[in-house]
Amino acid sequence: MTDEIEKEDESALTAEYILGLLSPAEAQAYEDVLSVDPDLRAEYAFQTDRIVALTDDIAPVTPPPHVLKRIKETLFHEGAPARSGAGVQSWLQRLGLLPAIGGGLLAALAVLWIVTAIVPPSSGPVSGATYIAQIASADESLVVDASYDSANGNLVVNRAVGDPRPGRALELWLIAGDNPPISLGVLPADRSGRVPVSPDLALSLAGGTLAISDEPLGGSPEAGPTGDVLAVGQIVDA
Amino acid sequence: MTSLTDIEDMIARMAIGDRAAFDGLYAATSAKLFGVCLRVLGNRTEAEDALQEAFVKIWRNADRYRVNGLSPMTWLITVTRNHSVDRVRARKSKMNAGMDEAADVADAAPGPEALAIAASDRGRIVDCMAQLDPDKAGAVRRAYLEGETYQELADHYDVPLNTVRTWLRRSLLKLRECLSHDG
Repeated sequence: MTDEIEKEDESALTAEYILGLLSPAEAQAYEDVLSVDPDLRAEYAFQTDRIVALTDDIAPVTPPPHVLKRIKETLFHEGAPARSGAGVQSWLQRLGLLPAIGGGLLAALAVLWIVTAIVPPSSGPVSGATYIAQIASADESLVVDASYDSANGNLVVNRAVGDPRPGRALELWLIAGDNPPISLGVLPADRSGRVPVSPDLALSLAGGTLAISDEPLGGSPEAGPTGDVLAVGQIVDA
Repeated sequence: MTSLTDIEDMIARMAIGDRAAFDGLYAATSAKLFGVCLRVLGNRTEAEDALQEAFVKIWRNADRYRVNGLSPMTWLITVTRNHSVDRVRARKSKMNAGMDEAADVADAAPGPEALAIAASDRGRIVDCMAQLDPDKAGAVRRAYLEGETYQELADHYDVPLNTVRTWLRRSLLKLRECLSHDG
């Protein structure tokens, strides 16, 4: 009987919450329980999925084009006249890398050229590699060599120089074309390790850029990097 | 036609920062969601602002979509509706709704992007609402689609606040009971 009453309360409260009838304090209390109680979440999902049908007869209306433009300005800082390659550049700019990029990226490319020139293709993890990159900070206090082998879908990383900051992790990002950085995961604590790359992401490696950011242990809590971007490197054919 | 699976997939890709997925989702759903903003806010300028803010929220919360257990369109409409209701309430606390602009909205025609999202069996709520007393069904709609509070419903139906809460809760339980016989 008590269960019955509790269940009724739960149902009614859920409906009131969905309709927005609870006071702010009640709604907050409801959300607190919702975040820890899977049964309540199921009840919430059940009722929301059905009550939302009250919008079924609302006719779609195409919003004017400036709405999308404003959204993109807010989210992606778009709006400046686009030029080719602007996507990557704007992301690098947002990552705070632009001041360093002229010398830094060129220097990284030069180092990469030397590395590829002097390292015999058969040695170590480079064997069988499809793409390689050297991800280096401008002052070379952090240098990570990466090589991707399409045969096994692994990106082999070797942290030649540098360590994560104390209590922090290094996270590896792929910047492909116009897209924002995609996390490839946190670098292993060991100097060398493997980072699996899903087949669809692997398609974006060619011509892309790898970057390493300073993040909380376990990686960025958000979709993109949250800490300093420490190093960057262009992906090139092995 | 964009299926619910496509929409789910676009939300998942937005969670990893895929802007092309955002463009796809916007093209597929913005007309429906703008309709919802217009319905709740009854004012074109405000509806545009609400739609903009709702899509910003959708992009930023795409990674949390999975945990709430909602179907993708339900989640998108809920985010948009809740945001529009917040705006309507903020506005009401300042001034009364502009009725002339509301009339303007009524003429808005469905756009060419009108999305054919597979009709679901959610239509059940229409039958269940029909089983409620018309006043009570009206109150549910007013709360959901116009963001009315218990106080506003009490004023509208000219009954004390506690009374409206009691009879609406009873109706919501009846509605819930009917919905569970979904079939």
